Amino acid sequence: MPRSVLRFVLAGALAVLAFAVVACGGDDNNGSSSSSSTTKATSSSDVGTDNTKAANVEGKKGGKITMLAGSDVDFLDPGHSYYTQGYMVVYPTQRTLYSFKPQDSVKPVPDLAASDPEISADKKTVTVKIRPGVKFSPPVNRAVTSKDVKYAFERFFSVNVGGQYPAFFSSIEGAPAEPTKGVKPISGIETPDDQTIVFHLKEAAGVPVAAALVMPVSAPVPEDYAKKFDAKNPSTYNTHVVATGPYMVKNDADGNTVGYKAGKSIDLVRNPNWDASTDYRPAYLDEVEMRTNASDANVASEQVLSGTHMLFDANPPANIIKKVATEIKDQYVQVPSGGYRYFPMTTTIKPFDNVNVRRAVLAGFDRNAARLARGGKFTADLPTHFLPPDFPGFEEAGGYDGPGFDFLSKKNEQGDPALAAEYMKKAGYPSGKYTGNEEFLMVSANVDPNKAQAEVAKAQFEKLGFKFRLRLVPQDAVYNDWCQVPEKKVAVCGGAGWFKDFVDPQSMLEPVFAGYTIPKSGLNNNMAQLRDPKVDAAMKKAALLDGPERLKAWGEIDKMITNDAPAVPFVWDKTTLLRSKDVNGVANGYTTTWDFSFTSLK
Amino acid sequence: MAAYIFRRLLWTVVLLLVITAVIFLIFYVLPSGDPAKLRAGRTPSPETIAAIREQLGLDRSLPAQYWDYIKNLVWHFDFGTSYTNNQSVKSLVFDRLPNTIFLVLGAAVIWFVSGVVIGIVSATRRGTLWDRVLMGGALIAISAPVYWLGLVSLYLFSDDIGVWHVFPGAGSYQDAHGFLAKAHTLILPWLVLAAAFAAIYARLLRSNLLETMSEDYIRTARSKGLSERRVVLRLGVRSAITPVVTVLGLDIGILMGGAILTETVFNIDGVGRLAFDAIQRGDLSTIQGTTLVLAFAVAMMSLLVDILYAFLDPRVRY
Repeated sequence: MPRSVLRFVLAGALAVLAFAVVACGGDDNNGSSSSSSTTKATSSSDVGTDNTKAANVEGKKGGKITMLAGSDVDFLDPGHSYYTQGYMVVYPTQRTLYSFKPQDSVKPVPDLAASDPEISADKKTVTVKIRPGVKFSPPVNRAVTSKDVKYAFERFFSVNVGGQYPAFFSSIEGAPAEPTKGVKPISGIETPDDQTIVFHLKEAAGVPVAAALVMPVSAPVPEDYAKKFDAKNPSTYNTHVVATGPYMVKNDADGNTVGYKAGKSIDLVRNPNWDASTDYRPAYLDEVEMRTNASDANVASEQVLSGTHMLFDANPPANIIKKVATEIKDQYVQVPSGGYRYFPMTTTIKPFDNVNVRRAVLAGFDRNAARLARGGKFTADLPTHFLPPDFPGFEEAGGYDGPGFDFLSKKNEQGDPALAAEYMKKAGYPSGKYTGNEEFLMVSANVDPNKAQAEVAKAQFEKLGFKFRLRLVPQDAVYNDWCQVPEKKVAVCGGAGWFKDFVDPQSMLEPVFAGYTIPKSGLNNNMAQLRDPKVDAAMKKAALLDGPERLKAWGEIDKMITNDAPAVPFVWDKTTLLRSKDVNGVANGYTTTWDFSFTSLK
Repeated sequence: MAAYIFRRLLWTVVLLLVITAVIFLIFYVLPSGDPAKLRAGRTPSPETIAAIREQLGLDRSLPAQYWDYIKNLVWHFDFGTSYTNNQSVKSLVFDRLPNTIFLVLGAAVIWFVSGVVIGIVSATRRGTLWDRVLMGGALIAISAPVYWLGLVSLYLFSDDIGVWHVFPGAGSYQDAHGFLAKAHTLILPWLVLAAAFAAIYARLLRSNLLETMSEDYIRTARSKGLSERRVVLRLGVRSAITPVVTVLGLDIGILMGGAILTETVFNIDGVGRLAFDAIQRGDLSTIQGTTLVLAFAVAMMSLLVDILYAFLDPRVRY
């Protein structure tokens, strides 16, 4: 065979192989604006499977489901777990004081608690009644009392356990300001009887503290059993955890969680001491096997879609989301992720101290391009303010249409250069563009999609005449070593995100935009360093409110912050969950994961 | 020979100590992220970070931290505790090491045998259609990234998501029990992992063999009437294969540290995947543990190759 012919044949073969791969993958090249998705995909119930309907189905009892997950839980210990993967195990295995039904991710319901929390008139005391008849799983095998909840809080503040959100409960009287060595009593938590727990607060923080009682820390921990594990540093209760929920991590007679293989699998089986009459969960399944090492999301997604008895934990690749949204349609559920992603502009660095410069940035910013960098219209909605969809205060802040500012509206999803120029002129730049010569610093993670979204952001700023140096660093250094450290003079963080811990608008806005939260030293969550006295005053006032007034007040604060333009909000994420055809998958809008306690086989 | 092996083992110990020091410096002096901050959750106070730093022993001087690490490693064979899930790093690594060894050794047999056979055929039939087809195929195999090849092979041949249900799919390895069942689930990963290596070995052996076959002693052997088969296999290949064995040893050693892409695509719990996850989570102690295993594997394979040299090449004496 002549050499040239051979080359031609080889080239052809390579081309065929390349086409084969392209056919296997698919793309998500949505160049056009997608305002329709931002208006249409408004809630978990109108995309993919109807989650509310699925949750109301009387499921088939029994059976086993395998969940493929790309990563392991952080911790099984409810006092230490803080991330979604961990919550996926904590909530079906533990009974927190309050929790969320899959049908309603806004209003928590009593779980271990017998009724709603009682908040005193001065908002300084929160009293919770504990439901009788709830028992710990083997080997503890005894009824839960209020003292078990008290101990759960006390151990949470110890360095051995390492509770990761002490700030939410720092207003409890006697709550340690720094982690304790060993478990120490907290004077502000009282247990007058076995069924009552009282939280005494230093300030009028009853509403946010009561809202935070949905967090895993409120799950009871039996001191008599856990003490010996908690005495170690770090605590080894994580591998001896006992359950109060319908499921438990498979364990042996000594309480060793033999069903947990770190980085490999978690085997959830029925808790023999769970009494269905004390719980709102139906708990149809007999067993759930979580494979926490399904490392390739493309392959795992396809396995779930074409297989049986399977779930995929969260957010498959964008090409798979597009495929299920446009072709398969009934094998997925989407729930709002309960957060916002944004590019903070440091308001202490000139010219970003000028509100009209910041508004110009928002007006000219192609937010759809940034969304494409994260996967496109099937993965997120484009924000018009900060409080995310299906969250208290969202409608009060303007809903999907937003508060009505022209620089952040549905009309300029792809950026409006003319409007941006107008704002630049108002800011004192007659040409409509920035004319300074300094180079600003932007910091981002060095992996996609964060890297890609930061590159988009850099291009948007450069359209307005700014010169930026994009510094790419490892993901775990972006915030701790750069964006949250004011001394580093990062002008724009190349992507930040704030997601709910519990369902209260104060927790979504105050840590990120209140001027009084900026610490003198240490890590700063208010990356834009916004110090607006009006916003600060409104926040302090709204913190004391309750009910509809509270939502209205925080909705107004969201509008005030949006008007200050301290950041470019660029996506409201949606979490996409996949299931096999024979699974009635039910998602929980609070944890934004599958709810094993409601999911069943068809 | 025994003295040589003993000397080499001693040097390996020294080498590993140096490597631990280098790894320690890289990950603790120039860390990508502070493990204490990563563990501290949202809105941590400086006091919280300081307490965690103390808990992890990160508040101590670097020499003290290193001494503790080495002491625990040598005295107790303790690799430390994972910063992200409190698990013993030793159990994490040694739980996964057999899977990686099985994957790598199986693939190594395939790539070595097929690489040698293809190399010999190509060299002995230089310029023919056979040579061109085999070397063309080798070029394609080298050009195809492992990750891509793995995905394509799964989409075509796996028994769950494949077009043709031929081989067990991703994740089947952990369900299989027993040597044969596990080996069956590894056929596709072995072939994928071996493809590029086989191609490289084939090209390497071909060029070595062509060079060897033009040596004087080969001509002499032919003139003495030895059969071509005997000349090629006994004289030519024996000489040409020595550098291939060197590369084989190093390749196996490196892959013991993790065939990350193959383990990822086929969902095999191996050391590579553990290392990758640890890097993503900033879990320094686990990164240290996996790196140490890699270093040890490379050192051991290098020693093994040097010993093999003596058998392959009579001129080599220790």
